[in-house]
Amino acid sequence: MSILDVSGLEKVYTTRFGGNRVRALRSVSFSVEEGEYVAIMGESGSGKTTLLNILAALDQPTGGSVRLDGRELSQIKESQLAAFRRDHLGFVFQEFNLLDTFSLEDNICLPLVLAGKKPAELLERAQQIAGRLGIADLLKKYPYEVSGGQKQRAAVARALITSPRLILADEPTGALDSRSTDELLDLFAAVNRAGQTILMVTHSVKAASRAGRVLFIRDGEVFHQLYRGASSDSAFYQQITEALTALTTGGERP
Amino acid sequence: MTQELYRRLAWTGIRKNRRLYLPYLLTCAGMVMMTYLVSFLSSSEALLRMRGGDTMRACLNLGFFVITFFSAIFLFYTHSFLIRRRKKEFGLYNILGMGKRHIAVVLLWESLLSAAVSLAGGLLAGLLLSRLAEAGMCALLGGGADLGLQVSPDSLLRTCAVFLAIFVLILLDSLRQLRLTNAIGLLRSENAGERPPRANWFFALAGLLLLGTAYWMAVTIQDPVSALLLFFVAVLLVIAGTYLLFISGSVAFCRALQRNRRYYYRTSHFVSVSSMVFRMKRNGAGLASICILCTMVLVMISTTVCLYAGAEDGLRARYPRSINATVYAASPEALSGAWTAQARSLAEQVTDELGAERENVLDYRVLAFGGLVRGGRVVIDPDALQGVGQSAAGLWQVYVMPVEDYNRLMGAQIALGPDEAVIAAAEDGAAPNGTIALGNGEPLTVVSTVSELPGSSLDSVQLFPVLYVFVSDLSAAGRSLIEAGGEEWMDCRWQYAFDLSCPEEEQSAVRDALQESLETLMEQGGEEVVGVGCRCFAEERVSFYSLYGSLLFLGILLGVVFVLAAVLIIYYKQVSEGYEDQSRFDIMQKVGMTKREIRSSINSQVLTVFFLPLIAAGVHLAFAFPMVQKLLLAFGLTNLGLLMLVTVACYLVFAAFYLAVYRATSRAYYSIVSDARAEG
Repeated sequence: MSILDVSGLEKVYTTRFGGNRVRALRSVSFSVEEGEYVAIMGESGSGKTTLLNILAALDQPTGGSVRLDGRELSQIKESQLAAFRRDHLGFVFQEFNLLDTFSLEDNICLPLVLAGKKPAELLERAQQIAGRLGIADLLKKYPYEVSGGQKQRAAVARALITSPRLILADEPTGALDSRSTDELLDLFAAVNRAGQTILMVTHSVKAASRAGRVLFIRDGEVFHQLYRGASSDSAFYQQITEALTALTTGGERP
Repeated sequence: MTQELYRRLAWTGIRKNRRLYLPYLLTCAGMVMMTYLVSFLSSSEALLRMRGGDTMRACLNLGFFVITFFSAIFLFYTHSFLIRRRKKEFGLYNILGMGKRHIAVVLLWESLLSAAVSLAGGLLAGLLLSRLAEAGMCALLGGGADLGLQVSPDSLLRTCAVFLAIFVLILLDSLRQLRLTNAIGLLRSENAGERPPRANWFFALAGLLLLGTAYWMAVTIQDPVSALLLFFVAVLLVIAGTYLLFISGSVAFCRALQRNRRYYYRTSHFVSVSSMVFRMKRNGAGLASICILCTMVLVMISTTVCLYAGAEDGLRARYPRSINATVYAASPEALSGAWTAQARSLAEQVTDELGAERENVLDYRVLAFGGLVRGGRVVIDPDALQGVGQSAAGLWQVYVMPVEDYNRLMGAQIALGPDEAVIAAAEDGAAPNGTIALGNGEPLTVVSTVSELPGSSLDSVQLFPVLYVFVSDLSAAGRSLIEAGGEEWMDCRWQYAFDLSCPEEEQSAVRDALQESLETLMEQGGEEVVGVGCRCFAEERVSFYSLYGSLLFLGILLGVVFVLAAVLIIYYKQVSEGYEDQSRFDIMQKVGMTKREIRSSINSQVLTVFFLPLIAAGVHLAFAFPMVQKLLLAFGLTNLGLLMLVTVACYLVFAAFYLAVYRATSRAYYSIVSDARAEG
């Protein structure tokens, strides 16, 4: 059963004086099955971030529909949106977006506190998840005291703690060095093997090559997609590179 | 051509940052206006011509320096906010190829422009308001005035010179800051990482202790003299305690809340408490300053209003009648000399000659001195008094009067034997065994106590508690006191006072004539009369009002300056908080907080931050109250109800004003925070 259904999604930005209309998304349709690990690739300006914002209900589309877990996003009332986001979605950002006034532990706990869980319960869950992600010793530290990789782990822990239906990751490796990138990608793979559905927007071929499926976006449309099938990481990497070359140089579908 | 470019850059810099610059310019203009007004009034001819104008001029000259001094400090402080926010922009210029030298030129232009705008605006407003201020001042001095709009070129020059000097200093400071930073530093200066504050329990406790001590002092002080001595100690303690508590105490308090898991991990507390820690760390010092400024304004305004409003009471206590004549005799025996009759007839003659009518005549002899009252004995011996030293405890103001004078004035019929006395005491414990002894004399049996007194009342205006002793033989009482060594300490006075219903000018004439004839009497009176003095209530009132009126006027002016400063600090705090909260607002929304939750959380934090100083100022004021009350006793103000009313009214007016400022500035805050959503 598909968790996420996107069909005919369109987003048109109108510039301030109403003169220019910019079509960020033309007609995007795809769906994500439960337990899938999908990467979305595209150049800057291809509409990736717009897409992600719409999926997160932070932005409204001008056409088309998004169904998450069978519910139409545009039907959800503004007042329930925050709670819906909290319960169904987990976010991982390029810039980590940890609150600098919180220790890592409190950052991880934040969504559960907002959901009104009991202190004992949420602290235990935070311990458990931090243990899984290898940051159990760092819980009392503040964001500025730990490395980028560790910050991103804390952000992942924050995304996972509500056991969301879908994790949305926006360039999660963008601000990490290569070692931390590898570690984070291993972590994502492990989380995905445990049954977590992940949708990741990325520039990085390396990151995309760890996913089960890659969607290519160009000029606001899903231009192409690749399934990993049985190929290894390195073989998939090769395929993605070729597809990207075709995407940037040619223009015809490979 | 290039100068033109720099000028344009400077102008756009100011316009683009108008959210920051406009309040700064307004404050500059406000300060210029106040300074001009004070300077103008101190040189106003119309005011100088008024009675008491010279006292006021001296007060205003002092006020000019105080205002200039505070203006410099406040403008410096607020300008540092501006520079901190603009460093990024300068960093960008630097990277784009402008040398620091060029940025300095832009800064120079900015200073020139802001100086020109604020001087022009401030002086214009000052000119327009000067007429009003002059009229207000005349009203405070208790007289009308016919004034035309005047310009005082001297004051204009003086104000310009002072503020140009301040602007030059501010420019030099910004140039120094510019020199200290490099391009990357300039670009990054806004988002330097911030350490989480640690609770410093030692300082928090020290703050609590200091504040507690000061409060305890204020509440337990009994007499006005110790209040005078300890007031400044208490003020210093309160200032230190407030800073420590706001800076460390608040962080420690938040940390303690965080330790309480049941409290901390609640939706409504979680974000607020943890952000408060950082907010208090950043703002502690600023908030403590606001709190102290508020307290100062409130104490200053309420005391000056009180002094002004209570001037009549104080005057009445000191000068019970329209004309008050005192003749000092050489000894208690001399008080019964033939000259008293002579003086009395002189006074009658003088008033009759001027066609005035005497009413409510007060006519009595009295021995007046300060002495210790211990175990039913009045001690006047100099050695004993020396030992009292700094503490005024046990010291009384003592009046010894012949009972026949009392009977005559009050229409009473008290008959006393030589070993009997009647007393009136402001406090208990003067005659614990039912007897009172004067100096070396035998104890006198206190046959009764009275509360009605001629010409004054027991609770009026003395630094020390008052004791009246009425005896049958004044000379005998005086001898016992002199034998105890009290000769130098004792005044032997004949008081003669009466009311007049004629106009004030005629009252003055009566006083002058009486003074003159009493002086002649003294010359003729030989050794029995050592001094004379004659005061006219109406004249005294003028000098009273000119002093208290100018104090009040200065109090209000300084109050306005302090309030301006507090407003500006509040505003810049709101704005800088707003910029810092932008990104947090964004993250919280993504993590799943509703807009309303974010808004209410931020609201509660901002409310706490901005109303903490006001509340703390209220508490300070409440504890200062007993001390201020004792202090005002020294100025002759005994009206407790008035002081309370004025203090509460000042606090309420101030709170309303504070609230208005908060509302206006929080709008700026929200517009910054919601900009983030619109742009992001």
